[in-house]
Amino acid sequence: MFGGGGGAGWGGLGGGPPGAAQPGMPFGGIPSELQAGVDLLLTQEPERGESDVTFSHQPSADEKRRLSLSGLLKVYPGMLALALLLVAIIAVATQLGPWLTETAINHGMQPGHGNFGLVVILAAVYLAAVAVSGAAQWGQVRVTGRLASWVMNDLRITIFRHLQRLSLDFFTEEKAGVVMSRMTSDIENLQQLLQDGLAQFAVQGLTMLVITWFLFTTNTRLAVITIVVVIPPLTLMSIWFKRASERGYVRVRDGIALVLADLSESLSGVRVVTAHNRQRYNVVKHRNIVGEYRDANYFTGRLNGVYGPGSQLLGVVGQVVILAVGGNMYLHHQLSLGALFAFFLYVNRFFQPIQLLVQQYNTYQQGQASVIKLRILLDNEPSVLEAPDAVDLPPIRGRIRFEHVSFGYDPAIPVLEDIDLTIEPGETMAFVGATGAGKSTMAKLVTRFYDPTEGRVLIDGYDLRAVTMKSLRSQLGVVPQEPFLFAGSIRDNISFARPDAPDDAVWDAVHKVGLTDLIARLPYGLDTVVHERGQSLSSGERQLVALARAFMAQPRVLVLDEATSNLDLQSETMIEAALDVLLQQRTAVLIAHRLSTAMRADRIVVVGDGRLLELGTHDELVALGGHYAEMYATWISQSHAA
Amino acid sequence: MSTTEDQVTGMPADDDETSGAASGAATQTTARGLPLAAYVPMGITSNYKRPKATVDPDSSKTWLRRAFPIVAAHKRSFFTAIILSFVGLVLQVQIPDLLNHAIDNSLVRHTVPLHFYVDWVIALGLIGGVAGYLSRTSLYKMAYAIEFDLRNGIYEHLTRMSFPFYDRVQSGQLISRANSDIRSVQMYLTFAPLILVQCSIALVAFGYMLSINVELAFIAMVTMPFIFWSGMRMRKVLFPVSWLIQSRLAEVATVVDENVNGVRVVKSFAAEEQQLRQLATAADRVQWGYIKDADLRARFSPVIQNLSQVGLALVLLFGGYMVIHGTLGFGAILAFNAYLLMMQAPFMMLGMLIMMGQRASASAERIYEILDEQPTVVDRPEAVDLTDSRGDVRFENVRFAYGTESRVALSVEDGGNPDVLSDFNLHLRSGETVALVGRTGSGKSTVARVLARFYDVTGGAVYVDDHDVRDLTLTSLRANIGVVLDEPFLFSVSIRDNIAYGRPDAKKEEVEAAAQAAGADGFIRHLPAGYDTVVGERGYTLSGGQRQRIAIARALVKNAPIILLDEATAALDSESERHVQEAIAELCRGRTTLVIAHRLATITHADCILVVESGLVVESGRHEELLRKGGRYASFYRLQLREQRGPEREDDSESVVRFPSSVVRP
Repeated sequence: MFGGGGGAGWGGLGGGPPGAAQPGMPFGGIPSELQAGVDLLLTQEPERGESDVTFSHQPSADEKRRLSLSGLLKVYPGMLALALLLVAIIAVATQLGPWLTETAINHGMQPGHGNFGLVVILAAVYLAAVAVSGAAQWGQVRVTGRLASWVMNDLRITIFRHLQRLSLDFFTEEKAGVVMSRMTSDIENLQQLLQDGLAQFAVQGLTMLVITWFLFTTNTRLAVITIVVVIPPLTLMSIWFKRASERGYVRVRDGIALVLADLSESLSGVRVVTAHNRQRYNVVKHRNIVGEYRDANYFTGRLNGVYGPGSQLLGVVGQVVILAVGGNMYLHHQLSLGALFAFFLYVNRFFQPIQLLVQQYNTYQQGQASVIKLRILLDNEPSVLEAPDAVDLPPIRGRIRFEHVSFGYDPAIPVLEDIDLTIEPGETMAFVGATGAGKSTMAKLVTRFYDPTEGRVLIDGYDLRAVTMKSLRSQLGVVPQEPFLFAGSIRDNISFARPDAPDDAVWDAVHKVGLTDLIARLPYGLDTVVHERGQSLSSGERQLVALARAFMAQPRVLVLDEATSNLDLQSETMIEAALDVLLQQRTAVLIAHRLSTAMRADRIVVVGDGRLLELGTHDELVALGGHYAEMYATWISQSHAA
Repeated sequence: MSTTEDQVTGMPADDDETSGAASGAATQTTARGLPLAAYVPMGITSNYKRPKATVDPDSSKTWLRRAFPIVAAHKRSFFTAIILSFVGLVLQVQIPDLLNHAIDNSLVRHTVPLHFYVDWVIALGLIGGVAGYLSRTSLYKMAYAIEFDLRNGIYEHLTRMSFPFYDRVQSGQLISRANSDIRSVQMYLTFAPLILVQCSIALVAFGYMLSINVELAFIAMVTMPFIFWSGMRMRKVLFPVSWLIQSRLAEVATVVDENVNGVRVVKSFAAEEQQLRQLATAADRVQWGYIKDADLRARFSPVIQNLSQVGLALVLLFGGYMVIHGTLGFGAILAFNAYLLMMQAPFMMLGMLIMMGQRASASAERIYEILDEQPTVVDRPEAVDLTDSRGDVRFENVRFAYGTESRVALSVEDGGNPDVLSDFNLHLRSGETVALVGRTGSGKSTVARVLARFYDVTGGAVYVDDHDVRDLTLTSLRANIGVVLDEPFLFSVSIRDNIAYGRPDAKKEEVEAAAQAAGADGFIRHLPAGYDTVVGERGYTLSGGQRQRIAIARALVKNAPIILLDEATAALDSESERHVQEAIAELCRGRTTLVIAHRLATITHADCILVVESGLVVESGRHEELLRKGGRYASFYRLQLREQRGPEREDDSESVVRFPSSVVRP
């Protein structure tokens, strides 16, 4: 399903061969000039099978542990220890140079009577130190790279597994975006931190210690003066810069988001823009938005203009101090020439660590913030829990019973009150009623998307709360109001419930729901990839695919929420025919928005104000002269008026 | 910086077609008292100047030459940045040499007092700092000004493009170009010269090293080519990896996105484990990418970081030998150390520059591909304004086929383009309502599109008030036509601004009156912020019926004498449809109206109904006439009515003509 890396994502049916990647996200595809490099890279990728992760509604002991950075890292103690060792080697080995130079100047380089042998040895040690530090860096990048990707992989799976356990009420529209950013940007933040951030933090911290130690052992007085002159202003300036540029960065990020949003809206609304002659107005509007984005960039540009040359200037100040103070100390024989050199060489090396530390601190803060956000996500408990002693529901015969069921999304506001209803095996029961009457809610209780606040829902005498989710839901077929198609081929979508189903079974479903003609027309048949949630198919075709998907599952109980939007006539006819096939010999719950659909059912329930108002066949209810009869009369008169 | 809309409308030559309308704005008014000024920018102030330059249109030139006018427009910032950064760097190069002399002359030989050098270093440091600040700020200024020019240039170009262009391109691709491609071109145009300056500094530094000691200078430089080479290699191998990782992260995001949005399906089919596997597989692919990335970086970054240290060790060895033999001063060791560190960055960046150049040229080609597209529906040079329109519309022998223009690489698909309309004739007299019915693909929507000149006819002509629409200015023609589409598109602005979309200067009362007439006032007032509620993609979600009523209010505010309704109620459920029907009746009153519909209940009151099939009118007449006639319309109508009544199936399908929804779209 995820083969191939280079789909350009043109969208539309037949836009790409089967299996092309479909970046539906902001990612716009790999630029063509880099495709060759990517292809070359992919030849090196070993064949790995599908992952063998398993899923259970019951979290294991490990998964119940509180999420923390250290906890994540501790899973790989060997790698962690190795990383720390390498970091220590790097910090010491890279700072040997100036000390070796000092020793060479003081003890080997007296003009005329020097000790060249010593210089050779020191230079050799220098080269060796460079080699060691290079090798250690090589190792460290590989080790922390692996550590970070392993930890991130674990984390992605943990979070996603937890998401799968959460109940439907968690996934409101507003939360979809939050979940998305947890799984993407928050985990990415941690990736950056673990891959490079922590190692850099350790290396730079140690480097500063090593340099300070070298300076103090060389000359305490000069060390104190240098550090006092250089470190505080540099630290303050770095912190100022970090804070200001963060502000600037937020402005820039918001600015570009507005620019792209305006562009995107102008493009998708181009028909309206043209029809209303808004082009010139929009050009000015866009210019204002781009202008604000430019000003935000000017701001960060000025910050960089101050910080870069400013820290360079501090470097010069440091050198001036060493030259003036250290030079005088040398003239008064309080300092050797080599030591003066060492100070010159070390003072420059102070700058990088401080700047990097300030930057990394920010990464660290962001990482911590992400950990906290992920922790909050993991603290969400599913509202519909699987009982620890849940049993598998045996093959369903199809008798559904509501026993004194009451329910409210908010317990204070009941949606259903004391419902008693039995649906017999093989029966099709239609629920009708005004929007908000509670008919969809009743269906959600049958699928156990929610649990009743009072009473019980039973299938074949089993309380739904006492059976495993998998055994229940794998025997139910649900067709939602808006058919949802997944990115992937039509085949993947139809065989969603049984990914390993043989071809015959898929084709059988296709024929039964009347998709044969459509599939024959598609460029790659069943393997045609649907893009952007199937927008390339008409809404009637999407519904047929959803019906085929439900048919493939061979459910014992079918729950169907009728689409509200108007379909054209032929699609409606086709869907009705497909429904006839699907409803055969199954218990079915039909949430009907149109009376023409309700009339197909064996019995009809009228729901209103959280209660069952009427129950019976179409003819019985019309004869009854109640709510249903009234609805029917209005509807008939409307169709005549038309 | 602020300019008024008068200056804005004074756009250069390529926009002249429309400025006629603008200049006459003050005096001319339409029959309905609508000032023509309504369709020039109003109610907005331009806070920023229009870009002075755009890309050279001559596509035979190289990409860099074509971009030259944009850089030239900012030549002051450009030269300030280059000259000052050169000055700053030259000063910076002096400092190690001063330290070298200070050590040899003041400390070792005592020939010059120490404070002489201290003063000089302070002075050079300060001047260098100021030069550095000024050069950087002007460099950034130029960089972002170029980005500003490119973005606005592309946007203006896009607003001029015609519908055939938008049919072919994918907006996602355009946005991606507007995002990353503009960036990479801008980066190259601004930073390439700067990097070159920095590299020239490496030459100056090398000159200093030569002046101190020739042999040692060459020894010290021995590792530099490797730094350059490694820097280039590293970018070359890392670019593909980072893009691979990006594409795989997008895969993970897709799995999550679908899982969250399709959560009902996932849970209904107990597919949690299957979803988890899918995610784990996608995550594993990301993991491989990151490990590959680490391995490749491990190969290069230690080399780049440590090669200059090798140079320093060599300086210590050979320099030490020379100092012992008296051919070199101590200070030289220090100066060489400083110079080598100074040169490391330019050599790395030189490698980067080459990679950036390759990326920028590919990005520029993609941007030029858009800019080189020419609009196909444009004003004729002698085009006149449509004023005081009576709303008399005539189609004469109209022929039309989609996609006859040239195609570029942005094309979605190819295929034959048969005529959608052939010899189509229709006359709408002032104030008449005419409905077109037929199956999808019959050409009925095309009729509306050629009237508003979203497309130009391939043969025949469309007349409004006896003017060929191609002889009218686009703005004046469209100002006289109100359009309501099947999918009402609302912008992410307040409801008030959405209703006033066609006339941004409309008064508050006018907006609210239009909303009332469209039956939208009631629900708008119940929204959290009433008329100021922001809707659209990034705002409050309204139902389809509510959106459509706002779209109708939008057309009402425009107050045009001609109305086009393109399947305006197709996407609504029956209850919303009823509300919207009432609003539509209000909209059409006293206006020439062309209705395109597939639900017949919505058009029974039309003055004339046309049944369109394969681009031809096969039946026409009033509702009752057509029913009596017992032709296609009658059977289509019977079928829909029976469908509404219920499922009892008396089968006389032999005589039934269906209007199936065809998947094959034009």
